[in-house]
Amino acid sequence: MPRVHATLTRRGALGGAAALALASCGGGDPAPTGGPRAGSGAGLLSSIVALEHAGIAAWGAIAQALSGDARRYARVIREREIDNAERVAVLVRKLGGSPPKARADEDYARLFPRLNDDADALHFARDLEERLVRAYLEGLRLLPDPDQRRVTAEIAADQAQDLAVVHALAGGPAAPQPFVTGTS
Amino acid sequence: MAGGAALLASGSAARAALAGGALAGGALGGAALGGGALGPSALAAGPSDADQLARLLALERRLADAYEAALARDAIEPALGELLLDHEREHVRGLEQSLGKRSAEAEAPRSGIDLASRRAFARSALGLERAAVDTYRDVLTTFHNDRLLQPLGSIMACGAQHEVALRRVLGEDLL
Repeated sequence: MPRVHATLTRRGALGGAAALALASCGGGDPAPTGGPRAGSGAGLLSSIVALEHAGIAAWGAIAQALSGDARRYARVIREREIDNAERVAVLVRKLGGSPPKARADEDYARLFPRLNDDADALHFARDLEERLVRAYLEGLRLLPDPDQRRVTAEIAADQAQDLAVVHALAGGPAAPQPFVTGTS
Repeated sequence: MAGGAALLASGSAARAALAGGALAGGALGGAALGGGALGPSALAAGPSDADQLARLLALERRLADAYEAALARDAIEPALGELLLDHEREHVRGLEQSLGKRSAEAEAPRSGIDLASRRAFARSALGLERAAVDTYRDVLTTFHNDRLLQPLGSIMACGAQHEVALRRVLGEDLL
Protein backbone atom coordinates (compact mmCIF):
# COMPACT_ATOMS: atom_id res chain seq x y z
CA MET A 1 0.00 0.00 0.00
CA PRO A 2 1.51 3.37 -0.95
CA ARG A 3 2.44 5.65 1.92
CA VAL A 4 0.59 8.97 1.82
CA HIS A 5 2.32 12.04 3.21
CA ALA A 6 0.90 12.95 6.61
CA THR A 7 0.24 16.57 5.68
CA LEU A 8 -1.85 15.58 2.70
CA THR A 9 -3.69 13.07 4.83
CA ARG A 10 -4.60 15.67 7.42
CA ARG A 11 -5.66 18.29 4.92
CA GLY A 12 -7.59 15.77 2.88
CA ALA A 13 -9.33 14.58 6.00
CA LEU A 14 -10.66 18.05 6.72
CA GLY A 15 -11.92 18.51 3.19
CA GLY A 16 -13.62 15.14 3.24
CA ALA A 17 -15.22 15.79 6.59
CA ALA A 18 -16.47 19.21 5.51
CA ALA A 19 -17.88 17.73 2.31
CA LEU A 20 -19.66 15.15 4.41
CA ALA A 21 -21.32 17.87 6.45
CA LEU A 22 -22.25 19.89 3.39
CA ALA A 23 -23.70 16.84 1.67
CA SER A 24 -25.91 16.33 4.67
CA CYS A 25 -27.56 19.72 4.13
CA GLY A 26 -31.27 19.20 3.78
CA GLY A 27 -30.83 15.52 2.99
CA GLY A 28 -34.06 14.40 4.60
CA ASP A 29 -35.88 17.68 4.51
CA PRO A 30 -38.67 18.71 2.16
CA ALA A 31 -37.65 20.76 -0.86
CA PRO A 32 -37.49 24.46 -0.02
CA THR A 33 -40.16 26.70 -1.47
CA GLY A 34 -38.03 29.81 -1.51
CA GLY A 35 -34.41 30.31 -0.66
CA PRO A 36 -31.52 32.69 -0.94
CA ARG A 37 -30.95 34.47 -4.22
CA ALA A 38 -27.85 33.79 -6.26
CA GLY A 39 -24.90 35.90 -5.17
CA SER A 40 -26.28 36.47 -1.68
CA GLY A 41 -23.38 34.66 -0.06
CA ALA A 42 -25.56 31.85 1.29
CA GLY A 43 -23.64 29.13 -0.55
CA LEU A 44 -20.26 30.27 0.74
CA LEU A 45 -21.61 30.75 4.25
CA SER A 46 -23.11 27.25 4.18
CA SER A 47 -19.73 25.86 3.14
CA ILE A 48 -18.16 27.60 6.12
CA VAL A 49 -20.80 26.15 8.46
CA ALA A 50 -20.01 22.69 7.07
CA LEU A 51 -16.32 23.26 7.65
CA GLU A 52 -17.03 24.44 11.20
CA HIS A 53 -19.03 21.27 11.90
CA ALA A 54 -16.04 19.23 10.77
CA GLY A 55 -13.82 21.47 12.88
CA ILE A 56 -15.92 20.94 15.99
CA ALA A 57 -15.63 17.18 15.58
CA ALA A 58 -11.92 17.48 14.85
CA TRP A 59 -11.27 19.53 17.98
CA GLY A 60 -13.08 16.84 19.98
CA ALA A 61 -10.67 14.26 18.58
CA ILE A 62 -7.70 16.57 19.13
CA ALA A 63 -8.68 17.12 22.76
CA GLN A 64 -8.84 13.37 23.31
CA ALA A 65 -5.29 13.01 22.05
CA LEU A 66 -3.88 15.82 24.20
CA SER A 67 -3.40 16.14 27.94
CA GLY A 68 -3.06 18.84 30.58
CA ASP A 69 -3.18 22.47 29.53
CA ALA A 70 -3.22 21.55 25.84
CA ARG A 71 -6.38 19.51 26.33
CA ARG A 72 -7.98 22.38 28.21
CA TYR A 73 -7.24 24.77 25.35
CA ALA A 74 -8.53 22.24 22.82
CA ARG A 75 -11.82 22.13 24.66
CA VAL A 76 -12.02 25.92 24.85
CA ILE A 77 -11.34 26.20 21.12
CA ARG A 78 -13.98 23.55 20.38
CA GLU A 79 -16.52 25.68 22.27
CA ARG A 80 -15.45 28.71 20.26
CA GLU A 81 -15.98 26.77 17.04
CA ILE A 82 -19.49 25.85 18.18
CA ASP A 83 -20.22 29.55 18.66
CA ASN A 84 -18.71 30.37 15.28
CA ALA A 85 -20.80 27.74 13.51
CA GLU A 86 -23.95 29.18 15.06
CA ARG A 87 -23.03 32.76 14.17
CA VAL A 88 -22.51 31.84 10.53
CA ALA A 89 -25.62 29.66 10.51
CA VAL A 90 -27.60 32.71 11.63
CA LEU A 91 -26.32 34.58 8.57
CA VAL A 92 -27.49 31.75 6.31
CA ARG A 93 -30.93 31.78 7.91
CA LYS A 94 -31.20 35.55 7.49
CA LEU A 95 -30.83 34.96 3.77
CA GLY A 96 -33.65 32.42 3.81
CA GLY A 97 -31.33 29.45 3.61
CA SER A 98 -30.98 26.28 5.68
CA PRO A 99 -27.48 25.85 7.06
CA PRO A 100 -26.02 22.34 6.86
CA LYS A 101 -26.53 20.19 9.90
CA ALA A 102 -23.71 18.43 11.68
CA ARG A 103 -23.33 14.67 11.32
CA ALA A 104 -22.55 12.34 14.17
CA ASP A 105 -18.98 12.66 15.49
CA GLU A 106 -18.28 9.07 14.42
CA ASP A 107 -19.00 9.94 10.80
CA TYR A 108 -16.28 12.58 10.85
CA ALA A 109 -13.90 10.53 12.97
CA ARG A 110 -13.67 7.89 10.25
CA LEU A 111 -12.12 10.51 8.00
CA PHE A 112 -9.60 11.89 10.48
CA PRO A 113 -5.97 10.76 10.62
CA ARG A 114 -4.79 8.64 13.51
CA LEU A 115 -3.58 10.88 16.34
CA ASN A 116 -0.99 8.87 18.23
CA ASP A 117 0.54 11.60 20.34
CA ASP A 118 0.59 15.33 21.09
CA ALA A 119 2.66 16.08 18.00
CA ASP A 120 0.12 14.37 15.71
CA ALA A 121 -2.73 16.20 17.40
CA LEU A 122 -1.08 19.61 17.17
CA HIS A 123 -0.16 19.10 13.51
CA PHE A 124 -3.77 18.24 12.77
CA ALA A 125 -4.91 21.24 14.81
CA ARG A 126 -2.60 23.55 12.89
CA ASP A 127 -3.88 22.33 9.53
CA LEU A 128 -7.45 22.65 10.72
CA GLU A 129 -7.02 26.20 11.99
CA GLU A 130 -5.13 27.29 8.88
CA ARG A 131 -7.97 26.01 6.77
CA LEU A 132 -10.49 27.87 8.90
CA VAL A 133 -8.47 31.11 8.74
CA ARG A 134 -8.27 30.74 4.97
CA ALA A 135 -12.01 30.14 4.66
CA TYR A 136 -12.89 33.28 6.61
CA LEU A 137 -10.37 35.46 4.79
CA GLU A 138 -11.78 34.27 1.47
CA GLY A 139 -15.20 35.08 2.84
CA LEU A 140 -14.08 38.65 3.43
CA ARG A 141 -13.35 39.03 -0.25
CA LEU A 142 -16.41 37.26 -1.58
CA LEU A 143 -19.28 38.11 0.74
CA PRO A 144 -21.36 41.05 -0.47
CA ASP A 145 -23.01 42.32 2.70
CA PRO A 146 -21.30 44.51 5.36
CA ASP A 147 -22.87 42.55 8.23
CA GLN A 148 -21.59 39.30 6.73
CA ARG A 149 -18.15 40.81 6.38
CA ARG A 150 -18.15 42.09 9.95
CA VAL A 151 -18.96 38.66 11.36
CA THR A 152 -16.44 37.06 9.03
CA ALA A 153 -13.71 39.50 10.08
CA GLU A 154 -14.41 38.96 13.77
CA ILE A 155 -14.26 35.20 13.42
CA ALA A 156 -11.15 35.36 11.21
CA ALA A 157 -9.39 37.20 14.04
CA ASP A 158 -10.58 34.60 16.55
CA GLN A 159 -9.41 31.76 14.30
CA ALA A 160 -6.00 33.41 14.00
CA GLN A 161 -5.81 33.46 17.79
CA ASP A 162 -6.75 29.81 17.99
CA LEU A 163 -3.96 29.11 15.49
CA ALA A 164 -1.56 31.17 17.64
CA VAL A 165 -2.41 29.01 20.64
CA VAL A 166 -1.65 25.89 18.59
CA HIS A 167 1.71 27.41 17.63
CA ALA A 168 2.45 28.16 21.26
CA LEU A 169 1.42 24.69 22.45
CA ALA A 170 3.75 23.21 19.83
CA GLY A 171 6.61 25.19 21.36
CA GLY A 172 6.97 27.91 18.73
CA PRO A 173 6.21 31.63 18.62
CA ALA A 174 2.51 32.41 18.81
CA ALA A 175 2.79 34.79 15.85
CA PRO A 176 5.43 33.44 13.46
CA GLN A 177 4.44 35.32 10.28
CA PRO A 178 3.61 38.96 9.44
CA PHE A 179 0.72 37.95 7.17
CA VAL A 180 -1.60 35.21 8.41
CA THR A 181 -3.19 33.72 5.33
CA GLY A 182 -3.83 30.13 6.35
CA THR A 183 -1.42 28.88 3.70
CA SER A 184 1.82 28.30 5.59
CA MET B 1 9.70 16.20 -3.60
CA ALA B 2 7.10 14.84 -1.22
CA GLY B 3 3.54 15.82 -1.91
CA GLY B 4 3.24 17.58 1.41
CA ALA B 5 6.28 19.72 0.71
CA ALA B 6 4.84 20.73 -2.65
CA LEU B 7 1.63 21.72 -0.96
CA LEU B 8 3.49 23.84 1.56
CA ALA B 9 5.59 25.43 -1.17
CA SER B 10 2.51 26.46 -3.12
CA GLY B 11 1.07 27.86 0.10
CA SER B 12 4.12 30.07 0.55
CA ALA B 13 3.81 31.30 -3.02
CA ALA B 14 0.18 32.13 -2.49
CA ARG B 15 0.99 34.03 0.67
CA ALA B 16 3.70 36.00 -1.08
CA ALA B 17 1.34 36.87 -3.91
CA LEU B 18 -1.36 37.88 -1.49
CA ALA B 19 0.75 39.86 0.91
CA GLY B 20 3.36 41.23 -1.45
CA GLY B 21 1.37 41.48 -4.63
CA ALA B 22 -1.93 43.00 -3.76
CA LEU B 23 -0.71 45.45 -1.18
CA ALA B 24 2.67 46.22 -2.65
CA GLY B 25 1.22 46.41 -6.13
CA GLY B 26 -0.22 49.81 -5.38
CA ALA B 27 -3.79 48.74 -5.83
CA LEU B 28 -4.79 52.22 -4.78
CA GLY B 29 -2.89 54.40 -7.18
CA GLY B 30 -2.80 58.16 -7.38
CA ALA B 31 -5.70 58.40 -9.80
CA ALA B 32 -7.83 56.17 -7.62
CA LEU B 33 -7.09 58.27 -4.57
CA GLY B 34 -8.29 61.31 -6.49
CA GLY B 35 -11.63 59.62 -6.96
CA GLY B 36 -11.62 59.46 -10.73
CA ALA B 37 -10.82 55.79 -11.09
CA LEU B 38 -13.08 54.48 -8.37
CA GLY B 39 -16.41 52.88 -9.14
CA PRO B 40 -19.75 54.14 -7.83
CA SER B 41 -19.61 52.02 -4.67
CA ALA B 42 -16.27 53.55 -3.76
CA LEU B 43 -17.77 57.00 -4.01
CA ALA B 44 -20.58 56.23 -1.60
CA ALA B 45 -20.93 58.16 1.66
CA GLY B 46 -18.41 57.43 4.37
CA PRO B 47 -14.64 57.48 4.53
CA SER B 48 -12.74 56.69 1.36
CA ASP B 49 -10.52 53.63 1.09
CA ALA B 50 -7.50 55.91 1.16
CA ASP B 51 -8.71 57.52 4.40
CA GLN B 52 -9.20 54.08 5.91
CA LEU B 53 -5.74 52.93 4.85
CA ALA B 54 -4.21 56.10 6.30
CA ARG B 55 -5.95 55.34 9.59
CA LEU B 56 -4.53 51.81 9.60
CA LEU B 57 -1.07 53.04 8.65
CA ALA B 58 -1.04 55.45 11.60
CA LEU B 59 -1.87 52.56 13.94
CA GLU B 60 0.82 50.34 12.45
CA ARG B 61 3.41 53.09 12.73
CA ARG B 62 2.43 53.57 16.36
CA LEU B 63 2.90 49.85 17.02
CA ALA B 64 6.27 49.83 15.26
CA ASP B 65 7.38 52.85 17.31
CA ALA B 66 6.22 51.13 20.47
CA TYR B 67 8.19 47.92 19.85
CA GLU B 68 11.22 49.90 18.77
CA ALA B 69 11.13 51.96 21.97
CA ALA B 70 10.57 48.84 24.08
CA LEU B 71 13.60 47.15 22.54
CA ALA B 72 15.72 50.23 23.16
CA ARG B 73 14.61 50.32 26.83
CA ASP B 74 14.77 46.54 27.38
CA ALA B 75 11.03 46.60 28.03
CA ILE B 76 10.47 43.45 25.97
CA GLU B 77 12.37 40.20 25.60
CA PRO B 78 14.63 40.90 22.60
CA ALA B 79 13.71 37.91 20.40
CA LEU B 80 10.00 38.56 20.77
CA GLY B 81 10.45 42.29 20.37
CA GLU B 82 12.42 41.88 17.14
CA LEU B 83 9.84 39.46 15.74
CA LEU B 84 6.88 41.70 16.48
CA LEU B 85 8.73 44.79 15.25
CA ASP B 86 9.59 43.03 11.99
CA HIS B 87 5.92 42.22 11.50
CA GLU B 88 4.85 45.81 12.12
CA ARG B 89 7.46 47.07 9.68
CA GLU B 90 6.12 44.67 7.04
CA HIS B 91 2.63 45.98 7.64
CA VAL B 92 3.79 49.60 7.44
CA ARG B 93 5.67 48.89 4.22
CA GLY B 94 2.66 47.26 2.58
CA LEU B 95 0.27 50.01 3.60
CA GLU B 96 2.70 52.74 2.51
CA GLN B 97 3.06 51.17 -0.90
CA SER B 98 -0.69 51.01 -1.30
CA LEU B 99 -1.23 54.58 -0.18
CA GLY B 100 1.60 56.16 -2.14
CA LYS B 101 2.06 59.88 -1.51
CA ARG B 102 -0.67 60.04 1.08
CA SER B 103 1.44 57.87 3.39
CA ALA B 104 3.13 60.99 4.70
CA GLU B 105 -0.19 62.18 6.15
CA ALA B 106 -0.56 59.18 8.44
CA GLU B 107 1.25 60.25 11.59
CA ALA B 108 1.66 57.89 14.49
CA PRO B 109 0.03 59.32 17.64
CA ARG B 110 2.45 59.49 20.59
CA SER B 111 0.86 58.45 23.84
CA GLY B 112 -0.05 55.55 26.03
CA ILE B 113 3.11 53.46 25.85
CA ASP B 114 4.26 52.35 29.26
CA LEU B 115 7.94 51.38 29.19
CA ALA B 116 8.42 51.16 32.96
CA SER B 117 8.83 47.38 32.92
CA ARG B 118 8.40 44.41 30.60
CA ARG B 119 5.09 43.64 32.18
CA ALA B 120 3.89 47.22 31.93
CA PHE B 121 4.89 47.39 28.29
CA ALA B 122 3.20 44.08 27.44
CA ARG B 123 0.01 45.39 29.02
CA SER B 124 0.02 48.64 27.05
CA ALA B 125 1.07 46.91 23.81
CA LEU B 126 -1.80 44.48 24.25
CA GLY B 127 -4.16 47.44 24.39
CA LEU B 128 -2.67 48.90 21.23
CA GLU B 129 -2.88 45.60 19.38
CA ARG B 130 -6.50 45.14 20.47
CA ALA B 131 -7.38 48.62 19.24
CA ALA B 132 -5.69 47.93 15.92
CA VAL B 133 -7.53 44.65 15.40
CA ASP B 134 -10.83 46.36 16.20
CA THR B 135 -10.04 49.09 13.68
CA TYR B 136 -9.16 46.57 10.96
CA ARG B 137 -12.45 44.82 11.59
CA ASP B 138 -14.35 48.09 11.17
CA VAL B 139 -12.41 49.00 8.04
CA LEU B 140 -12.95 45.58 6.47
CA THR B 141 -16.69 45.95 6.95
CA THR B 142 -16.92 49.04 4.76
CA PHE B 143 -13.84 48.87 2.53
CA HIS B 144 -14.56 49.07 -1.21
CA ASN B 145 -11.49 47.70 -2.97
CA ASP B 146 -12.01 43.93 -3.16
CA ARG B 147 -8.36 43.27 -3.99
CA LEU B 148 -7.18 44.54 -0.64
CA LEU B 149 -9.68 42.81 1.61
CA GLN B 150 -7.73 39.58 2.03
CA PRO B 151 -4.33 41.25 2.53
CA LEU B 152 -5.83 43.59 5.12
CA GLY B 153 -7.51 40.60 6.73
CA SER B 154 -4.18 38.79 6.92
CA ILE B 155 -2.64 41.77 8.74
CA MET B 156 -5.59 41.90 11.13
CA ALA B 157 -5.09 38.18 11.80
CA CYS B 158 -1.43 38.80 12.58
CA GLY B 159 -2.42 41.50 15.06
CA ALA B 160 -4.78 39.05 16.72
CA GLN B 161 -1.87 36.61 17.07
CA HIS B 162 0.27 39.36 18.60
CA GLU B 163 -2.35 39.63 21.32
CA VAL B 164 -1.81 35.96 22.15
CA ALA B 165 1.97 36.45 22.22
CA LEU B 166 1.58 39.37 24.66
CA ARG B 167 -0.85 37.49 26.91
CA ARG B 168 1.77 34.77 27.06
CA VAL B 169 4.29 37.34 28.32
CA LEU B 170 1.80 38.44 30.95
CA GLY B 171 1.18 34.84 32.04
CA GLU B 172 -2.52 35.20 31.27
CA ASP B 173 -4.89 32.78 29.65
CA LEU B 174 -4.02 32.83 25.94
CA LEU B 175 -7.63 33.18 24.69
